[in-house]
Amino acid sequence: MVELNPIIVMEDVCKFFGSLRALNHVSMSVQTGEKVVIIGPSGSGKSTLLRTINRLEEIDSGRIVVNGFDLHDRRNDINKIRMEVGMVFQSFNLFPHKTVLQNLTLAPSKLKHLSRNDAESMALGLLEKVGIQEKAGAYPSQLSGGQQQRVAIARALAMSPKIMLFDEPTSALDPEMIGEVLDVMVNLAREGMTMVVVTHEMGFAREVADRVVFMDMGEILEEAPPQQFFQESSHPRAQRFLSQIL
Amino acid sequence: MIEISDGAAIPSRKDVGLFSAWRIAFAGAILILVYLAVSKPDPYFKILRFIPDGILVTFQVTLCSIFFSLVLGLITGLGRISRNRFINSVASIYVEVVRGIPLLVQLFYIYYALGRFVRLPDMVAAVIAMSLCYGAYMGEVFRAGIESIHKGQTEAARSLGFNTAQTMRYVIVPQAWRTILPPVGNEFIALLKDTSLVSILAVADMLRRGREFAAESFAYFETYTVIALVYLIITLMLSKLVSLLEERYSHYG
Repeated sequence: MVELNPIIVMEDVCKFFGSLRALNHVSMSVQTGEKVVIIGPSGSGKSTLLRTINRLEEIDSGRIVVNGFDLHDRRNDINKIRMEVGMVFQSFNLFPHKTVLQNLTLAPSKLKHLSRNDAESMALGLLEKVGIQEKAGAYPSQLSGGQQQRVAIARALAMSPKIMLFDEPTSALDPEMIGEVLDVMVNLAREGMTMVVVTHEMGFAREVADRVVFMDMGEILEEAPPQQFFQESSHPRAQRFLSQIL
Repeated sequence: MIEISDGAAIPSRKDVGLFSAWRIAFAGAILILVYLAVSKPDPYFKILRFIPDGILVTFQVTLCSIFFSLVLGLITGLGRISRNRFINSVASIYVEVVRGIPLLVQLFYIYYALGRFVRLPDMVAAVIAMSLCYGAYMGEVFRAGIESIHKGQTEAARSLGFNTAQTMRYVIVPQAWRTILPPVGNEFIALLKDTSLVSILAVADMLRRGREFAAESFAYFETYTVIALVYLIITLMLSKLVSLLEERYSHYG
């Protein structure tokens, strides 16, 4: 990305779980429209890093600025900031008591006060985009994992976020369903969405990422474009990790 | 989790056979009552004509207490999971104190002991005592129900931009409601039965009317037979109602 317009800035972020150092002086920034894929062994802090970006995890020191707002400045309303940051979880977390359509319309109608008609037509458009409009009236429990995750992506998009965060979106899926979810994410990337993705899908990283971030033990060890990272990674721990998963 | 409460058993949805325990008990109670009233109208039919005022009062006390204990229970349940130390302590102490004192003692306390300072109408004292007591029980049920909802639901709601209260209102409580419906229904039934205690406070509920009738007619056996059967019929109907409600809320997987 040539355009220098960071939409996410993390400066010297530390986060502890008890005595465990989950994030160790992490600094990173993400440009508008950039796609960053975070990889690393389990327990390396990559999910924690992602979750600090919408303050689902509190940090112990450092600074995070999203969309121009300091997350930990008391004057900023975290709920307003979160409306601009969509999040997709490993375990989908759809609202089981709502239909697919209601899952999408709940937040826009309550938080943005969209009329029912507007909310529903927008929701149906998003469901079409993720290829699942025929399930609008179904409950989440009636869908396959891949379908649920696509609905979860559509639900996050329903708030028209500027940034989308993905926390291992395909890790809970059966292998044959991973493709359908990745397709949706690839399309979203092509539309220019700013994306930060924690994943083990190296094919996705190769194809979509502008930059791959490698983490281990709470630190960012390497940041590079995917070509460079996968072919000539310099860090020994990154090499070991790649040899284990490729 | 094994849960034993003193509410009547709520018929399971699968328990639909002609000879289910619920049906046998319900039909049996009605048949015996009808048989007694027809075959021996004096005193049985007389008793049946004497107690409806009391049934009405029992219902009034029950419904008012259910309403206030639900409100109190929801507040208490939310207080018990609050991260605010003060709110959490107040709610916890309330639950501990109320659960440690027998309901009958609470009734006496609010009616007679506090009567030295404020004179409350019988009905009001009864409803206050019942609501305070059952509010604590319901609070525990609400707390357990809310805690049973997966943390991911809260995270999903918060990540969309809902604040804590909105998350509770739109996402957590509607889901918890389904989990807690059976135990809450149990509390309703237990509450209805416990309203018989208010007969001690000169509240003319069903049991009180029965005692009045028995004292005049000396027909103790007959009177309390009728009273027991009518309570049984009412609680069985209520338990059926709760199971129908449960069915209504089982539309999602």
